[in-house]
Amino acid sequence: MVDRELSLSRRDWLRLSSAGLLTSASVPWFESLATAAAERRRPKNCILLWMDGGPSQQHTFDPKPTGEFRSVSTSVPGIEIVEQLPRLSQCMEHLAIVRSMSTEINDHYDAKYLLHTGYRRVTAFEHPAIGCIASHQNGRPGDDMPAFVTIDAGFDKGNGGRLYRSVPAYLGPQHAPLAVHDPADGLENLEHPRSDLDRRLALLDKGEARFARQYAVPAAEARRSAFERAVRLMRSSRSKAFDIEQESPATRDAYGAHAFGESCLLARRLVESGVSFVEIFHRGWDDHEGAAKRISVRAPWMDKGMSALILDLEQRGLLDDTLVVWMGEFGRSPGNGNGHFCRAWSTVWAGGGIRTGQVVGKTSVDGKNPGDRVVDRPVNAADFVATLCLALGIDVHQEFVGPGLRPMPLVEKAAKPIEELLG
Amino acid sequence: MPLLERDVLPVLTKNCMGCHGGLKKEGELDLRTVDAMKRGGESGSALVAGKLDASLLWQRVADDEMPPGETKLSADDKAALCGWIEAGLPTLVERQKEIADPLLPAGKTHQPREVARAIDRHVQRGLDEAGLEPAEPCNDAEFLRRVHLDLTGRVPTAKQAVAFLDSTDPEKRAKLVEELLDSTEFGEHLGRTWRDWICPPELPSDMNSGKQPHREAREFGRWLGDRFAAGDTWDEIVRTVLTVDGEIKDQPQVIFFGLVGQGGKATPDGTTQAVGSLFMGVQLQCAQCHDDPYRTWSQREHWAMAAFFGETRGDFKKIEEESGDDRGRIKIPRSAFRNAGSTVPAAFLAGEEHQSLGPLRREFVEWLTARENPWFARSFANRVWFQLFARGVVNPVDDLRDLNPPSHPGLLKLLENEFAASGFDVRHLLRCVCNSATYQRTSRLPDGAEAGRVQALTTAFGRVPLRMMTADQLYDSLKLAYHDEKLDLRGIDPKDGNTNGESAPVGDAYLEFLRRFEIDEEDATNFVHGIPQMLTLLNHPRLLERSRDFDEVLRQDESPEATIRRLYLATLSRRPSAEELADALAYVNESDDPADALVGVLWSLVNRSEFFFVR
Repeated sequence: MVDRELSLSRRDWLRLSSAGLLTSASVPWFESLATAAAERRRPKNCILLWMDGGPSQQHTFDPKPTGEFRSVSTSVPGIEIVEQLPRLSQCMEHLAIVRSMSTEINDHYDAKYLLHTGYRRVTAFEHPAIGCIASHQNGRPGDDMPAFVTIDAGFDKGNGGRLYRSVPAYLGPQHAPLAVHDPADGLENLEHPRSDLDRRLALLDKGEARFARQYAVPAAEARRSAFERAVRLMRSSRSKAFDIEQESPATRDAYGAHAFGESCLLARRLVESGVSFVEIFHRGWDDHEGAAKRISVRAPWMDKGMSALILDLEQRGLLDDTLVVWMGEFGRSPGNGNGHFCRAWSTVWAGGGIRTGQVVGKTSVDGKNPGDRVVDRPVNAADFVATLCLALGIDVHQEFVGPGLRPMPLVEKAAKPIEELLG
Repeated sequence: MPLLERDVLPVLTKNCMGCHGGLKKEGELDLRTVDAMKRGGESGSALVAGKLDASLLWQRVADDEMPPGETKLSADDKAALCGWIEAGLPTLVERQKEIADPLLPAGKTHQPREVARAIDRHVQRGLDEAGLEPAEPCNDAEFLRRVHLDLTGRVPTAKQAVAFLDSTDPEKRAKLVEELLDSTEFGEHLGRTWRDWICPPELPSDMNSGKQPHREAREFGRWLGDRFAAGDTWDEIVRTVLTVDGEIKDQPQVIFFGLVGQGGKATPDGTTQAVGSLFMGVQLQCAQCHDDPYRTWSQREHWAMAAFFGETRGDFKKIEEESGDDRGRIKIPRSAFRNAGSTVPAAFLAGEEHQSLGPLRREFVEWLTARENPWFARSFANRVWFQLFARGVVNPVDDLRDLNPPSHPGLLKLLENEFAASGFDVRHLLRCVCNSATYQRTSRLPDGAEAGRVQALTTAFGRVPLRMMTADQLYDSLKLAYHDEKLDLRGIDPKDGNTNGESAPVGDAYLEFLRRFEIDEEDATNFVHGIPQMLTLLNHPRLLERSRDFDEVLRQDESPEATIRRLYLATLSRRPSAEELADALAYVNESDDPADALVGVLWSLVNRSEFFFVR
C-alpha cells in the first residue's frame, strides 16, 4: 500500500485500527471501567415517546395525595397513577415507572441534548444521539428500510424551546434520522409525482451506466447503491410500512384519531418491517400556566395511543423485542407543574424484555412541597442512557475516536445502569 | 523498512500512550517523541537503535508484560516494533529530508506559472518514488466544471459553458481562473466554506430558550465572502475578526467569539482552540484539561495562549476587552481535569512568556500574522489544498506537528513560502494551484484500474478524486439549473401549520437543505448520503415541475434539440453525445406533453452521478 507510505492521518490510523472501534481494554484512559456486566444482549428495537417541553410527573405517573389529579389503583397492586390515564393503568403489568430521574439541567435545549446523549453539551465536539447510536449498532447496513426514523406528532402549544435534532456526530451522517413530518402522510418523497417513472429511470440509467464505467471508485459505487436502495424502497411492499391507511379501521380506532396515536401506529408498522429506532415527538408540554388543564385535554389521546401500542406489540409477539420509553427532557415543579423541574421526575418503560410491573425510585411525600426531591435511587442522564443502551443490546463499554484522537466512550464510564429494570 | 510515523506510532498511540504520554507518565516514561523514548523512564532507556535486548520498551512488550490488561500487542504490531528498532529507528521525516526542498527560494513571490510548475515537480517526484503514472490531463469540460465549482461554488451556466468550450484561445484556462477569482461568487463561496469550518451544523444556543443565531452566522459568512471578494489579504481578515470590539451591528464578525465559545458566550479556551485549529492548524482541545496524551502540547501552553483572550468578554452580539488587575494572566477554571485554580501568564505557543503592553488580542494577532510565524501561512495553504483535492498535504488539516508529517514536505513548504511572501494573498495561492498540471488532471479512470493503485494515485495527488458536492455547491447548482433562486425542497409545506416557532421541526429552505445534504467534512470522497437524500432528488415535486422562469427559457430555444443541448450544458457543463441526444429526444417525443418531458430530461440530468460529483 503506497498511500500508507505517504502520510499518516487520523483517518488512515482509524482504518488501521479495526475500523475506528477500540475496545475499552485497549485504551487505559482515565479510571478503568466500572465492572458492570458487559455481555452482549440480543439487539432490540426501540420506540421513544418524547413529550417535548417537559411533562408533569404529578399529573401523569407520580401522583401525590395533595396533588391536583387524583390517583387510581392499577392492574398491579400497590402502584397508582393518575385517574386520567385509565387504559394505561390497566396495563401496568407491562410498564415500569422510574420515579427518581434526577438530571441537573433545567434549560430546555441543553436538557434535551443531555437526555438524548447522556452527556452535557460542550462546544468542542458533539455527542451522538441515542437513535443514531442504535442505527450504528443495531441497524442493518444496506437494508431498504432506514434504521432510524423520527415522527412529528404535532403540537398543541408553541413553546418548549428549540426542538432537539438527533445528530450522529462521529458515527457519520449516514446515521442521521429519516424524518416523517406527518404520520398520516407517511414518508415524504416516497412516491414519484409523475406516472412515467419507468421511462424516466430508463433514461437516467443510460447515463449512469456510462459514468459507472469511467469511475469504478467507492464513492460512485456507494451512490449507486444508495440510489438503488431508494428506488427499491419506492417499489417495495415494505415501503407500505409508512402508510397507516393499510391498517383496518378497528386498529386505527384503537390507537385513536389524534396524530400521536397515528404516530404510535406508524411506529409499530415501522418496527415490524425492520426499523431499529423510532422517535415520536409531540411538542408543547411546557405548561407554564399550570399542567392540570392542559394535561386533562392531552391525557385521553396519550392514554389511548400509548396503551394501544403496548397491547398491539404484545399481541403480535413484538413486545419482548421492542422497548417503549415515555419521557420528556425534565419534569415539572411539584404542585401545579408550572415550572421546569429536573431534580425529581419520571420516565416510563415498557417491553424490550425489561422487568415491568414495578416502580423504581421514589420521590418525597412529606414536607411542605411533596415530590420536591428523590428519596430513593436517583437516576441521572448517563445512568438513563446506559440503561437504554443495555436494554437495546448495545455494549456500553465501547469507545470511539473523536476529534483530536480523543477517546469517546459511548456512555460515560461512571454511569450506573438501572439494574432493577435490566434484571 | 518500518517507519515510526507509519508503522509504529499507531501501535504506541493505541496501546501505550494512554499511560506513557501527556496524560500520565507511568514510571516517568513518555513515548511522545523519539528523544523522550530514548531517554526512557525510571528503569532506563526505553529504546536503543538497533539493539532489541537493550530496548526496555521491546522487552516489556515482547513477553506481554505490557500493556497491562487483557489485550496485548498483536503479532503484526510486535513485528513492526521489533523491525523498527532493529532497523535503527528510522522516521519518515528523516527520509523526507531530501524532498523537503521547496524548489523555489523563500522570501519572494514568483510568477503563478513558475509556482505551478514547481508544484508539478513536487508531485511528480512523489509519483516516481512510488512507481506511479499520473492520470491524463482533463479535457476542457472537466476543467470548466471543476474550476467553477471549486472557485465559485456552483456549476457554470449554459452560456458560460459554451463561451469556454468554443473558445480557441490557448490561454483560456488561465484566463478562466483569473475571471473566476475576480467574481463576487468566488468570495461568497470561500466565505461560506470558512463559515462552515467555523460553525458546527447545529449552532450553540444562548440562554434565551435555545434560540440559534443562524441569521447572524450567515451574515458572518457573507461578510467573510465580501472580504475575500474585495481582495483583502488573509492576515487582514484574521486581524479584523480577532481584534473586533463592540456591537454586532455593522460588524458581523463579532459573532465569531460566541460561535466558538460556550453556550453562545465568548470563552478564552473556546477562542484558543478555534484559533489553533482554524488559523494555526494545531489541535489544542485536549490540552484544555490536561497535557495532550499524544501531542507535545502541555496544558500550560494551552492556557498561556488562552490568557491572550482571558479579558475578552461578550456573546453573539457584543465583544469587549475588559482589563482586570491581573492583566495577561489567566486562572485555569474549575472545570479542567488537572491544575484547576493555578494561574498562567500569557505566552505565545511554544514560545516565551509575553510582557503585555497594549491590548492583548492585538498583540497576539501581531505574532500570529507575522511572516515568520510557523503556523499561519502553512495552515491556510494546507486548507486550500484540502479544499481542492479532498485531502491536505497534512491530515487532519488541523494537526500540524512533527510526528504527523506532510506527505509532500517540499510542496507544503513551497505553498507556505509563496503565500507568506505574497503578503497572504489568497488569490495568488489559488491561481498558482489552479494553473498546475496537477490540478488539471482527469478524475476518470482507465479501464480495469486496480483499486489499491487508484487509492495510491489519489493519495499521491497523481489524479483528482471524485468529491461529493457540498450542500452549498449542490443547492446553488440546482438553483441555476432550474432558474429558481428560491428553490425550496423542504418536506412540508410551510403554510400547513406544522411549523411553530422555535420548536418547529423544520427550518427555512436553506437551513433544511444544508442539514439534509451535509457531507463528511473531513473527507469529501466518502459518499455519505442515503435514502432520504436520494428520495428528495428523485421525487420532490419541485424538481418535476415547470415554472414561469423555466418556460421563459424554453421559449428562447428553437427546438427540443436545442433545449436538450442547453440542459446538458447547464447541468453537466458539456454537450450531449449523439447517442445521449437521441435518447433524450426519443423520451420527449414519446411523451404526451413535450414541455413537461423537457423538465423530465432536466430531472434525469440532476439525478445523474455525473451531476452530483465534483469530478
